[in-house]
Amino acid sequence: MTFTGAIGRACLFPLRAIIALCVALRVHPNALTLTGVVINGAAGWALAMGRFGLAGWIMLVANIFDFIDGKVADELNLSSRFGGFWDSVMDRFSDLFILTGLIYLYATLERPDYVLIAALTLTFSVMTSYTRARAESIIPLCKVGFMERPERIVLFMIGAFTNRMAAVLWVILVLSVLTVLDRIYFTWRELRSDRRELPA
Amino acid sequence: MKPSRVATLPLRMIWHALFWTFERATWQYDLMVIAILAFIWLTPPAWLGDPMASGPGLIGIIAGLLR
Repeated sequence: MTFTGAIGRACLFPLRAIIALCVALRVHPNALTLTGVVINGAAGWALAMGRFGLAGWIMLVANIFDFIDGKVADELNLSSRFGGFWDSVMDRFSDLFILTGLIYLYATLERPDYVLIAALTLTFSVMTSYTRARAESIIPLCKVGFMERPERIVLFMIGAFTNRMAAVLWVILVLSVLTVLDRIYFTWRELRSDRRELPA
Repeated sequence: MKPSRVATLPLRMIWHALFWTFERATWQYDLMVIAILAFIWLTPPAWLGDPMASGPGLIGIIAGLLR
């Protein structure tokens, strides 16, 4: 067993109780998704105020909602195509709230270098999702690249709890750029192989 | 392993790190996570010009002890 797999299983244990509670109360999964985004907005505010510890805890709570919405939808047989769309759109808002909070913080600290780094991180975080969504409209699956949303969330929490946000931003930025490039290359390669297979 | 494969191992490692196709909870994923956490926690914040972080970080502490 890998250590990341073990951590994932350990985290799933308390989440099962929360999922069971939401299922018992028949909380609609779309309401859970929306709650997560609103709480992530609060995390963005805490980051903007430079209160990283508080932001870390708020992000932890927000992302519990984010994680359980799909599981609750499955348990309640409420999975729908709109639910998937709603979840993806709300996820983008969450990313934008967090990074806008950091941009505001670095702007108030008069650090244009980190304003730029946070803005580029925001750009490539959105492009990571966009490239996959657009690619999967023309090829079956485009799941390449390391830096997806769960990785970003965990890194933001690590940055907030251990006060190493600058290093986290660099990591997310560099790996998001690579992920976008991976997805462009993968889609190009898939489409090229499709063209070769077509009869002349 | 063939000698030619051994010779190209570093290049293939770099390629696989750049063009990432591994799933979560694989040993390759674990290695990447360790490298990322090492960068975040060991790099002295001053090297990155971190406006918020305090403390020298582990590498900074070791460098300070060696001085």
